[in-house]
Amino acid sequence: MSGLIREIRFLASDRAALLWLGIALLVACVSVILGLREIAAQRAVLNDLIEIDYAEREVLDTLYQDWGDVAYYTFHLTWDSPSDFAFAALGQRDTSPWKHQIRALALEGQIYETDAENPDFALIGRFDFAFAANLLAPLLLILLLHDLRSAERTAGRYELLSATAASQGSPWFARAALRTGALALCLIAPLWAGGLPGGAGASTLIPASLVVILHIAFWWGVCVLVDRYGWTSPVNLTALVGAWLALAVIVPAAIKVSIEAAVPLPDGGEILLTQREAVNDAWDLPKAATMEPFIERHPAWADYTEVSQPFEWKWYYAFQQVGDQTVEPLSQAYRDGRIRRDRLAGSLAWLSPPALAERAMQALADTNVAATLTYEQRVRAFHKALREYYYPRLFRGEPVSTVSIEQRPQFQGKES
Amino acid sequence: MSRVLSIAREESRLWLRSRLALVTLVIFAVLLAAVSIATSLRMSEEYHHRSEQQALAEETFLSQPDRHPHRMVHYGHYVFRTPPPLAMIDPGVDAVTGQSIFLEGHKQNSAVFADARAGAELGGFQGLTAALVYQLFVPLLLIAIGHGVFIREREENTLAPLLAQGVTGNELYAGKWIALAGVTLALLLPLAIVSAAAVVRGEALLASFGVISLYALYLFVWCGLILLVSALVRSRALSLGILALFWLASALIVPRIAVESASSAMPAPGKIETDLRMQADLREVGDGHFPGAPQFQQLRANLLIQYDVERVEDLPVNFRGVVSEVAEADLTEVMNRYAEERMALEARQARFAENFGWLSPVAAVSAGSRALSGTDLAAHHRFLREAEEVRIDYVQGLNRVHVEQLDYTDDINRSLNEEANRRTRMSAENWNVLNEFSFQPAAAGERLTQAGAPLGMLSAWLLLLTAGGIRAARRMQP
Repeated sequence: MSGLIREIRFLASDRAALLWLGIALLVACVSVILGLREIAAQRAVLNDLIEIDYAEREVLDTLYQDWGDVAYYTFHLTWDSPSDFAFAALGQRDTSPWKHQIRALALEGQIYETDAENPDFALIGRFDFAFAANLLAPLLLILLLHDLRSAERTAGRYELLSATAASQGSPWFARAALRTGALALCLIAPLWAGGLPGGAGASTLIPASLVVILHIAFWWGVCVLVDRYGWTSPVNLTALVGAWLALAVIVPAAIKVSIEAAVPLPDGGEILLTQREAVNDAWDLPKAATMEPFIERHPAWADYTEVSQPFEWKWYYAFQQVGDQTVEPLSQAYRDGRIRRDRLAGSLAWLSPPALAERAMQALADTNVAATLTYEQRVRAFHKALREYYYPRLFRGEPVSTVSIEQRPQFQGKES
Repeated sequence: MSRVLSIAREESRLWLRSRLALVTLVIFAVLLAAVSIATSLRMSEEYHHRSEQQALAEETFLSQPDRHPHRMVHYGHYVFRTPPPLAMIDPGVDAVTGQSIFLEGHKQNSAVFADARAGAELGGFQGLTAALVYQLFVPLLLIAIGHGVFIREREENTLAPLLAQGVTGNELYAGKWIALAGVTLALLLPLAIVSAAAVVRGEALLASFGVISLYALYLFVWCGLILLVSALVRSRALSLGILALFWLASALIVPRIAVESASSAMPAPGKIETDLRMQADLREVGDGHFPGAPQFQQLRANLLIQYDVERVEDLPVNFRGVVSEVAEADLTEVMNRYAEERMALEARQARFAENFGWLSPVAAVSAGSRALSGTDLAAHHRFLREAEEVRIDYVQGLNRVHVEQLDYTDDINRSLNEEANRRTRMSAENWNVLNEFSFQPAAAGERLTQAGAPLGMLSAWLLLLTAGGIRAARRMQP
């Protein structure tokens, strides 16, 4: 116990150590505040958009006399609300869409649209807690620990200290443990302070804290390993920063490049071109060429396939559907490819603890690739519901009824 | 002068004899070479791939059969943003912006299929590029080998004899500077080779030279800082600590704080929000698919007077086509207004973030590098504008065909009568209204102007740090 108090006193008088810890605390606080603000802004944007979207549909409500026109002109907003822990790891929300506008036309022509923010921002990246904890914190720990022994050695006190503290176990261990613990605390305290009032429960904060602690502990291990060699402080620091560079930057980049080479995706342009060809060719083909593949999927309308005029809405929507059906294999391959890339990244991330920690936090925050794909599936499901709402009306040629917007398909935000 | 050179030579000799310095140098040389080669290969491949796709898209459009011209308006076209030659060094926003845009009538679509959305997620940085290695990691190497250049003289008790021999502070500083700058120039070799390759691929000499100068200037800023700290501080540990702190702040923290500040100081509405807000304005223009809409009554009346006829059927032009043409023009004006507003706001955000270059040379060099390489936000906006030009040209070209060549009576009966429908199909020769598209970066001079502010910031950094370093070296006491 007295050893611990002595070490605390020692730490309190080490100005450099206090500086690094202070930076860690500052960086963590700033990242949490910025993350919370970003999520609040995203929520505000969504609330606004949901309102405008509703008002817009109300305006359209009385404008058209034909279900075909209604379906053509009515856009629906879909969205992916941020989770309560998303502030800590903005993850894919930076580059992938979390809001989308769709209508009942062919979905493949719409689903890849991105409502992205300034590309400069996505390029440089956001200052979120995950960045502070996974990339900055290891460096701060390195700065805290690299000269524990070597500085004493240089000062000529090393032998003396080792000898006098023999009965207490290694003083180096206590010193390093104290600093590592203090650093972890400087990170975790702001996380909880911002997360709890922000609505994040202990069920995400506890695992997230564990991730931080384990990740920091790993880097402590690296520091211990390097310290064994008894080099001078500058050599230690160079070696440790080199290790950081390798594990936090080069290994993840190499993994990324290898995965992307190993799992090629169908070309995005090809998906769009194929879809467009299928939709547009239909205009010049006999109507049966559209209706037959359509009926295969929707046998319920087999009795309504008669198209007597050069243009009829039901035929128009049927070839939109067939367009999607044609490109389905490519679209599925694109999706499967992304899932495979993500799975591989998940396994290979074990080679890089910072990448592993980042992925763990994104998973907790529901901002990972899987969450993006889930959102995409929800958009697809909604689009399907939209079609199924219009098909009976189009195929039976029903007149436009004055059903209120509430009774028409509406996208439901996920429960959060 | 010979004294300066001998100081420089002595320093380099020590580096070559130090295992640590040598190992770090070799590792970095390998890293730089590998990343430069990888970035170059990837961007060249992207260039060829997208050029091919562009040619294919044009060919497909031109080979469409005879059709109603408005069908071709909706059939649409694709344009691809090919990366400029210097993207081999700095791909910039290439990975985070979509690479292709679908062009169609009545709509401005966003660029789709950004690489970043389909990539493997491993945290950290958006891919490792040659630019990123130079901007973030080469300074680490310079710190590792250079933090003790003056301190070493003290530690080894060689400072006093040197000064006693009459070596001035200026000479000492110059010698150390030459040694460190020599390493820097050697490290710039891969960059220079890729820049030369870019010239072979059609880049202007001025731009390539600009990129090399920018990075040289940037790394000299780090040399200046390292020399200053090393001259001011008496212990290696403190010197390393200060330099590490500066690196941490300027490489990792400030650029992201710049992003956060720009995004909260001037929030930009997203595309959906803009589109939704634009709807009311668009409704005022009217939907060109409905020539009977109230918005076009005036147009109709004017045309009847102009050609002195009673009915639209008697007009020498196709009224539906005229409505399409006028509606498209008005619609485009509204869409362009909103698009320009959005781009102007994004450009202001970028400039705001760029000003953080006064706080961090890394923020300055990254903005300058993207601008010179033609891979910055401005280049993406240029792509969007050029794509819009292609769009409006082909749509209005087709609308002209609609106005001049297509019989109005056939046009209104085409959905009811197969014979009329057949007659509304215009010859495929008309599809050559489509312009060829090949994205080119702005002229080198223009890019250099864009990079003017970052270049100015780096020059100011260099001047300040060098002046400070010389002053500190002059005042050095054993």
